[in-house]
Amino acid sequence: MDMATNRNAAAQRPNGAPQTKVCQFKLVLLGESAVGKSSLVLRFVKGQFHEYQESTIGAAFLTQTLCLDDTTVKFEIWDTAGQERYHSLAPMYYRGAQAAIVVYDITNQDTFGRAKNWVKELQRQASPSIVIALAGNKSDLAAKRMVEFEEAQAYADENGLLFMETSAKTAMNVNDIFLAIANKLPKSESAGGGAAGGARRLNDADAPRSSSCCK
Amino acid sequence: MNEEALLARAFEERARIFQRYERGRENLAGQIDPWEDPEFEDYHKTDRYGFIHDERLLQKTAPQKINVEVEREKKWLKMLGSWDSPTTMEKLHRRIYKGIPNSLRIKIWCKLLNVNSVKSTSPGKYQEMLKLAKQWSTDARQIDSDVNRQFREHQFYRERYSEKQCSLFNVLCAYSMYNSEVGYCQGMSGLAGVLLMYMDEEDAFWALAILLSDKKYAMHGLYIEGFPKLTRFLEHHDKILTKFMPKLKHHFDKFGLDAILYSLKWFFVCFVERVPFSLCLRVWDIYLLDGERVITAMAYTILKLHKKAIMKLNDMDLIVNFIQVKLHKEFGYEDDMVIYHLERSMEELKRAKLDYPGPPPPTELPQRALGVFVEPDKKSKIGQRAENFSETEKQARATVILREEEIFVPSDTLKYKSKVTQKDNNSTRREKAALDLQDLRVSQSDTVSVVCSDHSGVASGVRCEDSVSALGSRRSLADTSVTSTADLSVFSSGRSHAPDNSLDTHSNISDDGTGSDGSGICGMSIQRAPSTAHSTPRATPHPPSVSPHSEDVVRIHVTYNPLAASPAHLQPVSPSKYKSYADEHHKPVSLGLYTSNGAPNISSDNRIRIQVSSDELLTPVVDSGRIITQRYIESHPGIYE
Repeated sequence: MDMATNRNAAAQRPNGAPQTKVCQFKLVLLGESAVGKSSLVLRFVKGQFHEYQESTIGAAFLTQTLCLDDTTVKFEIWDTAGQERYHSLAPMYYRGAQAAIVVYDITNQDTFGRAKNWVKELQRQASPSIVIALAGNKSDLAAKRMVEFEEAQAYADENGLLFMETSAKTAMNVNDIFLAIANKLPKSESAGGGAAGGARRLNDADAPRSSSCCK
Repeated sequence: MNEEALLARAFEERARIFQRYERGRENLAGQIDPWEDPEFEDYHKTDRYGFIHDERLLQKTAPQKINVEVEREKKWLKMLGSWDSPTTMEKLHRRIYKGIPNSLRIKIWCKLLNVNSVKSTSPGKYQEMLKLAKQWSTDARQIDSDVNRQFREHQFYRERYSEKQCSLFNVLCAYSMYNSEVGYCQGMSGLAGVLLMYMDEEDAFWALAILLSDKKYAMHGLYIEGFPKLTRFLEHHDKILTKFMPKLKHHFDKFGLDAILYSLKWFFVCFVERVPFSLCLRVWDIYLLDGERVITAMAYTILKLHKKAIMKLNDMDLIVNFIQVKLHKEFGYEDDMVIYHLERSMEELKRAKLDYPGPPPPTELPQRALGVFVEPDKKSKIGQRAENFSETEKQARATVILREEEIFVPSDTLKYKSKVTQKDNNSTRREKAALDLQDLRVSQSDTVSVVCSDHSGVASGVRCEDSVSALGSRRSLADTSVTSTADLSVFSSGRSHAPDNSLDTHSNISDDGTGSDGSGICGMSIQRAPSTAHSTPRATPHPPSVSPHSEDVVRIHVTYNPLAASPAHLQPVSPSKYKSYADEHHKPVSLGLYTSNGAPNISSDNRIRIQVSSDELLTPVVDSGRIITQRYIESHPGIYE
């Protein structure tokens, strides 16, 4: 599928062209500390990779826009802190989220176990229609692999999760996993019918709050 | 793996981590992973095309500034000679606000923190704690991973297992044993990292200990479970914004930007990595002298200086990026200028009696004796995470959620002052606090979780287009169609509730001023913030302050969707029961209570699904899973005028 990461895709359309539908989704990243959550976001949003990404305290917020065929999808991304103590803040970020990426580190079996716990918590506490993707990050370190691809794939299949192995460092599958999520999310108010309410259309002229307005 | 094997594994892991720091860089030649160690001389970044950038200093310190600092050094050295004299105390304030010469920070910081005298009262303590940590610390893994990314662009920390990296690891591990309530919390590596730039290992340990437990700084409350001090200081910060910069506050609220989202590192690590390092040091100088009110004033100063720029940013993303990233790279004001404004802010806040959020309550101070060994429990030894939240954590979650939701109220109020009085607004906030607490209990206890079918937006859209503009915007505020209120008393254990009392018959759009029949709950759901697009069902308690009922009564807002068909996989639970309760003045409606047997992707089986297929709603009251009674919820004819 054609994809561009253009922040102003809708605005750049020539006048008179049929307006692209702009949908906004809240997406949260969860996972054990140091698995690469912030690095995945940085790669997706800015195309960069920092060798020593500072540890996230609390949470970070970023946005990125993806253009699908007929829809522009804007992700509001909440990147959370991995340490357990910050876990009590997590519901603030995943409440109302339409999508989540649960990240583990393929070189560390414990982080995979932790990812499963996050999936469980989301299934129990988040919106029932939330789209959950599992990301096995650091796939560039395949030589030190401790979590087999098949094991994670089987788990993802059982739980209806999207699954990819990613590398924030080499950019492998980073855009793809966000794109897969964007494709899976319902794009219109009537579609899906999940409790998450599907996307919020941003080009409703009467939306009073500017964060819900087409930009 | 059985418990023994897990314990052994955790023990091995800790031993392995410690061993590497003990051996240090020199003795680990060839054993350091290339990905952990920068190969290049300077900190580098890889851009999207794969080019590695060597970022060189853009600006050098002007020579005249260095001259000034050399002159100051002389004065400071003289002052150090007679540190305890009254003249020093006189001069200290003014001199510190001018900035401690960098070469003397090592000495002055120790003086200001009183490191030597604290250290001398516990000789050997640091080594003892470090030894204990090697044997017991359950935080070694987390500390190791944070040391690996703390200040890696600084020459002290650039190389993996460098001397300072080892010191940082040791200080944090030792402290995690010294203060068993805090252990290690992310953020502390930033504090210790700065201290170690100016102190040796043991002094840095004691300086960290003082910052956490001395009442002047009391950072203990920031790092313990639930972060109580953070909450308290954020509330105070909000108060200051509301009073001095209401427009900016409104601007933040408009984008759903809670202070916790942009200011966390201000409070947690005293502006480390949020303002340029030279400025950060100046703030630290003053913080060490004057204590925690400096943080409050600096937070205010940053926003005051950049108010105009922030007001121009019309996106949460842009605002957060500006405050967190841009100001770190380039603050836009000379350090001296910022400190000048910081001092003015402190005076201004003092005049308004807002300079200090008050002394820390006992719960924010260490409760257990410091430096006394407490054996970690089995779970943390193994490295397992707790599966359920503690009471403190639940409270913290509730507070956080409340803060998040609260910020949408003022902007709403500003727009529709005529509709909602301040009094109602306040009571709504209170109710929402209670609401979220209860919401928490619902989700935590896992007793009942209600899955609401989503609104289609169609029916309500048609109706709301005819509504008055204020209500129209409410519709979008709530991002919802007509939401009904259903009462479910889900927590009662054998106690029965008077059904009449636990019922409310409000539609969500009825908070037009009076709002309360004693339940104090009406209009709750309209506060739903669209930007968070809440989908989780709302369970609301009767707030204890206004309700005579047991707090066990929970109200659940059921979003209504007339077009949605009953999901095929859901089996109605004796829907015929409802009919006997149907009020003959109303058309019969069908309201089904469903269990989620067979529903895919929903792990929890003890959920109740409520499917409402009419706007004339029956409100079931459920006690211990059984329906006691149900009522119609009256629609409000006035609201669609």
